Amino acid sequence: MTAPPSPDVELVELETPIGSEWEPVFRLVLGGVADRLGLGFEELDDLQLAVERLLAEAGAQRSVKLAFELAPDHVRTHVGPLSEAPIAKALQGSPPGPGELGLRRVLETVVDSFGVEESDGGELVVRLEKRVGPR
Amino acid sequence: MTTSAPAPGPSGGPDRELLRRYHEHGDVSAREQLVERHLPLVRSLARRYAGRGEALEDIEQVGTIGLIKAIDRYELTRDVALTTYATPNVVGEIKRHFRDRGWTIRIPRALQELNVKMSGAVERLTVRLARSPTIAELAVELDATPEQVLEAVEAGSAYSPVSLSASPGTEDDLDLMEVIGSEDEGFARTDDRTSLEPALGELPERERRILRMRFEEGLTQTQIADRVGLSQMHVSRLIRRSLENMREALSG
Repeated sequence: MTAPPSPDVELVELETPIGSEWEPVFRLVLGGVADRLGLGFEELDDLQLAVERLLAEAGAQRSVKLAFELAPDHVRTHVGPLSEAPIAKALQGSPPGPGELGLRRVLETVVDSFGVEESDGGELVVRLEKRVGPR
Repeated sequence: MTTSAPAPGPSGGPDRELLRRYHEHGDVSAREQLVERHLPLVRSLARRYAGRGEALEDIEQVGTIGLIKAIDRYELTRDVALTTYATPNVVGEIKRHFRDRGWTIRIPRALQELNVKMSGAVERLTVRLARSPTIAELAVELDATPEQVLEAVEAGSAYSPVSLSASPGTEDDLDLMEVIGSEDEGFARTDDRTSLEPALGELPERERRILRMRFEEGLTQTQIADRVGLSQMHVSRLIRRSLENMREALSG
């Protein structure tokens, strides 16, 4: 689901059931990733929120794969495949108008960049990137 | 401890007149005045439950719901002061809140205590470093390991959020949205299921303001915390709770 990382990129992968009772699992993994990179506490919280909101919209889907690519200056998180059409509509449609608060606006706010990769089967993998702030 | 809450006699006084205007004539402004007059009582009772891992202002908000229920249920034939009648209602609402929000899983005391210290540590380090601290920096500040810091943060999230759409008590309890909700024009509305704005107007004003600052003005949690007088971790919890409650309201 992800391109082979370059030599200076470390990869952590996780497949987890979806549901609020499972959120601590990926949150702890993401916390470990943040500690490894020196990501700020608030930056970690932002990234956790981004993944939480995506999974909240995953509908009846039972599980999801998460992949974290750790580079010296950023972490790139891949979430998917996701099969919910509204997520595609929300993330690939026209930009939100002034004052609209949807999934896209949330992601635009809490991560430095995001993108959507679509498979032949119409499933999505959402890419979230968070840069490590100056230390 | 003393309160400045009014204590009218059972048979007369301003409370009696306001209760009569509200119950006999449906005068909503009278109800609002009653709430306003008895907020010091709510604050006084709420303070008894401070320091249990819940922000005082949240406890006061819950207590206010109890006060409103007392006002609504008060029967004019009763020969009892509203203050006397409202007190057990306010206390009962706060106790129910803590019971409903109690730790949903067994958390070791050491982690609970570390979680309580976390908010202050984040604030101190944010000021000292002029940026958000890393997990490692927090661990040093708290004399803990990074793993313990992460576990303590998660311990905080084991405190289950109360749904704004869920009645906290019996079936005839007021829905929190009915009590505190009002129209908000700050965000546009669409029918898209992944858009949250249709439910935004149901949130309390403070939460709407925080969401506007975060997602419209682009302020960081720390900046918002400074403006509204809360900790960064509290702002974080309010944002999460608001987004989740809005989604639940839309799907419900």
